[in-house]
Amino acid sequence: MKALDLKLLRDLWRIRGQALAIALVVGAATATFVMSLGVYRSLMETRDIYYERNHFADVFSGMTRAPRSIVGRIETIEGVRHAEGRIIQYATLDIPGRVESIRTVINSVGEGGETDLNRLTLVAGRGPRSSAAGEIVIDEAFADANGFAPGDEIDALIYGTRERLTVVGIGLAPDYIYAIAPGELIPDESRFGIFWMGERALEAATNRTEAINFISMTLERGASEAEVIRRLDVILAPFGGTGAYGRDDHPSNAFVDNELMQLDVMTTTIPPVFLIVSTFLVYIVLGRLISTEREQIGLLKAFGYTDGAIAWHYLKFALAISALGILIGWAAGAWMGRGMTALYTEYYRFPFLYYRISPSIFAIAALLAAGSAVLGAMGGVRTVIGLTPAIAMAPPQPPIYKTGFLERVGQKAGFTSIGHMIVRHIGRWPVRSGITVFGVALSLGLLFSTMQFLDGTNEMLEANFFRAQNQDLTVALIEAGNEEVLHNLASIPGVLRVEATRAASARLRNGHRSERVAIESASSNTRLWSRIDASGREIPLPPAGLMLSGQLAAKLDIRAGDRVEVDMLEGRRIRTQIPVVTTISEYIGSRAYADSVTLERLTRDNSPVGSALLRIDPAAREDILDELREMPIVLGVTERRATLDKFREMIDDNMITMIGFYIAFASAIVIGVVYNSARIIFSERARELATLRVLGYHKQEVGLILLGQIALLVALAVPVGCLTGYALGQSLAAAFSSDLFRLPFAPTRGTYGFSIVVVLVAAALTALIVARRVARLDMVRVLKARD
Amino acid sequence: MAETTTNRDRSTAQPAFRATGLRKTYDMGETQVHALRGVDLEIGAGEVLVLLGPSGSGKSTLLNIVGALDRPTAGQLWYEDTELTALNDHALTRFRRAHVGFIFQFYNLIPSLTAEENVRLVTDIATDPMPAAEALELVGLGDRRAHFPAQLSGGEQQRVAVARAIAKRPHVLFCDEPTGALDSKTGIKVLETLANANAELGATLIIITHNAGIAGMADRVFNFLDGRIASIEVNETRIAPSEISW
Repeated sequence: MKALDLKLLRDLWRIRGQALAIALVVGAATATFVMSLGVYRSLMETRDIYYERNHFADVFSGMTRAPRSIVGRIETIEGVRHAEGRIIQYATLDIPGRVESIRTVINSVGEGGETDLNRLTLVAGRGPRSSAAGEIVIDEAFADANGFAPGDEIDALIYGTRERLTVVGIGLAPDYIYAIAPGELIPDESRFGIFWMGERALEAATNRTEAINFISMTLERGASEAEVIRRLDVILAPFGGTGAYGRDDHPSNAFVDNELMQLDVMTTTIPPVFLIVSTFLVYIVLGRLISTEREQIGLLKAFGYTDGAIAWHYLKFALAISALGILIGWAAGAWMGRGMTALYTEYYRFPFLYYRISPSIFAIAALLAAGSAVLGAMGGVRTVIGLTPAIAMAPPQPPIYKTGFLERVGQKAGFTSIGHMIVRHIGRWPVRSGITVFGVALSLGLLFSTMQFLDGTNEMLEANFFRAQNQDLTVALIEAGNEEVLHNLASIPGVLRVEATRAASARLRNGHRSERVAIESASSNTRLWSRIDASGREIPLPPAGLMLSGQLAAKLDIRAGDRVEVDMLEGRRIRTQIPVVTTISEYIGSRAYADSVTLERLTRDNSPVGSALLRIDPAAREDILDELREMPIVLGVTERRATLDKFREMIDDNMITMIGFYIAFASAIVIGVVYNSARIIFSERARELATLRVLGYHKQEVGLILLGQIALLVALAVPVGCLTGYALGQSLAAAFSSDLFRLPFAPTRGTYGFSIVVVLVAAALTALIVARRVARLDMVRVLKARD
Repeated sequence: MAETTTNRDRSTAQPAFRATGLRKTYDMGETQVHALRGVDLEIGAGEVLVLLGPSGSGKSTLLNIVGALDRPTAGQLWYEDTELTALNDHALTRFRRAHVGFIFQFYNLIPSLTAEENVRLVTDIATDPMPAAEALELVGLGDRRAHFPAQLSGGEQQRVAVARAIAKRPHVLFCDEPTGALDSKTGIKVLETLANANAELGATLIIITHNAGIAGMADRVFNFLDGRIASIEVNETRIAPSEISW
């Protein structure tokens, strides 16, 4: 090995603590990059392969009922490659020992479970025979959550008739990767299952011989989805078509897309933060190393080493540190990616998961990390090249200190000499001090901006479940009915209040923009249902016209006062124009509202009750749920409490893991920045600190100079970090928002406090580790040598 | 004035320091370096002592131990009635803080503090210090107090160091090659300030030097060789720093 390389290795070993601290930051950059991009690509590839293998359709539409022969007609639409009809039927289940409402959606499949589109993948058992009554395949998540296996029997209330179903197989399908019950926000596999039943058997059970109520189709390459949807709506209108939609609006696919979008945002926001910090760390550490090795550099040049050779020597130093970081990051990223992917599989159901990080991701991560190290080394390399042998071998100019602005303030405030030492050293090295402040601030900002997701989610829950909803139960009905249903429900003992709501499918158009929505309504004297905007104000339903959520208004490019074209997809299917009276800023979904009279005028079917909101006596809950299960008109019951609990559980599961990661990441930055700053300050001031010890200062007092300087810089970083976090959090919340959710940016004081405490604790512990060196200062040796 | 008592009186007066069997051994891995091989001494209060000897003869090691910067491997050391060798680190620091002033070859000023602030570093923690400005006046730098070390000459810097050392009214002043980095004219100026401190504050003065000429201003001269005090010379009369031949 060349002598210069030996020097490199020994230098690295000598500053191993600092090198490791930088490597940790580089590692965090690499790890987040590998993790988020790895998971993103794995998830996307898995989804694409799954969609292709199982022939996930491109366009879908529901309808009340149509003859099976309609499929052939639909296949003649230009651009449609293949269409397939099926029956989709919601049902409730009666599982012994379970009080709560458990729902299922039953899909018809061909003989043995075969279909052309949205194919079922069996993971156990076999497919149902087409005409075998009661044979079903159930989805894997539901089976796992409720402990069902092939051979088990489940009692169901299908289309008003009690049937005993036999589980013959367990499977999954691409149209239910993310399966949420109607009206719910998140999957609850213990209360909502996906079933598949033979076509003939389901026809018989639902009295739909040779009829279908759902159609899926694939499109030819290059076909216009919008045009197919338009023609499809026309064909299906007489059959009660509820409006066709493409993959983008397919509930399961939309959630998967949403998740992928969020991962993509993470990939482009988080790693750069670490890369910036590691660049700066390399800059200051290499800068310090070079300034302490001036004489050696001069000597090497005097011996005849070229500028290039010496520059390369120090560049290798930076590269070696980043190489260590890359290795750490690769391993951590792959490990965390696996953990994260496992989390996804709890909510997104795939029959297989390609968790594979391609070599290109590792390579890109390494290139980015090495690139940032090289960038950070550039300042040092320039210094090295600029040194002439003669200058390099003369001692450096003593640092010139000045009394600055802060000083004059300090003088009045009665700064001690120690105070002056701290402030002037900071002022003497403004770039390095700035980097310390900036690095700690970024760490705080990163932690805060990820922690605020928890607040945003809580705010969303608060708004949705507490402020806007006052019911205990939501009872969905098989079809919209009239007030009689309400009387029946009100007569159940323990029911305290019953209100009607309805949601009617419609397509809203403004020029070429069109959105399929459900127009939701409630009676004018509602006490259980309210629309609360993002600022917490209750917005009453307009007496006439529509109220649109801000997201929907934006998508349609409509403002309050404009008129919107409405194609009703329910009731008498009228087409009309109606004013948009107001918009409301909401978090969940793209929604439209009207008061019950307005909606009745639009549907004209004299069926104002689509579902009922119930307020109940908690003591009577079980009896009420039993009673509801027996009512043929009831499609399902949602309990607000259970949904909320499930949501909280999901947050706890996911967020806690994520928060753990981000605390670790933020700490990595703080450790990297504070450790290196403190070590540099220590090495620059070792002589001064030893002098103070000689002059009679105790270790603690001398340690305070070091700690005080770090503390001052960290204290400056706190407000900067809060501002950084505020800006970063706001843009992350905006970037995470999609058609499904608009994540509010609603950080609480607790989140500021928590982030600050984490950063301060990490900084304090790190600084203390360095401060311990004060105790080991060798007064004699330091004072003997000339600096 | 100092000249009213004889040198012999001073060295046998109530001793400030007493040491018996001081040894210091450094472990250098496989070998051991014996820096002190058994030193017994008494240093009188107010005495001016010069330690002479070649590099590595043990004079700095002794100064570090007597100055409470380092501990002996064996032996005992008293300052008045206090056994320094029995004190813990904290108590040694307190001892330095209360009684000791140091002056170094390379001044060891804090570059980020002005001359006056460097002196205040000591007066801030001393029990009965003189004002920092007064200390600077004593070394003739009253008009340079707002200057940073980088703005002062070497001699001026060393005088600031002297001011810093005497400002606490120390009982003993340790000087390790105080003129080693200075030319003769500046060196004499610094030595004059030290002699004044001895005369006016009654501080015991212990000076390490390579410069045998300085020995003339001492009451006694310890000649070091090989970790031991090889010989002690007693000067019947002390010469003034200005008379020292450089």
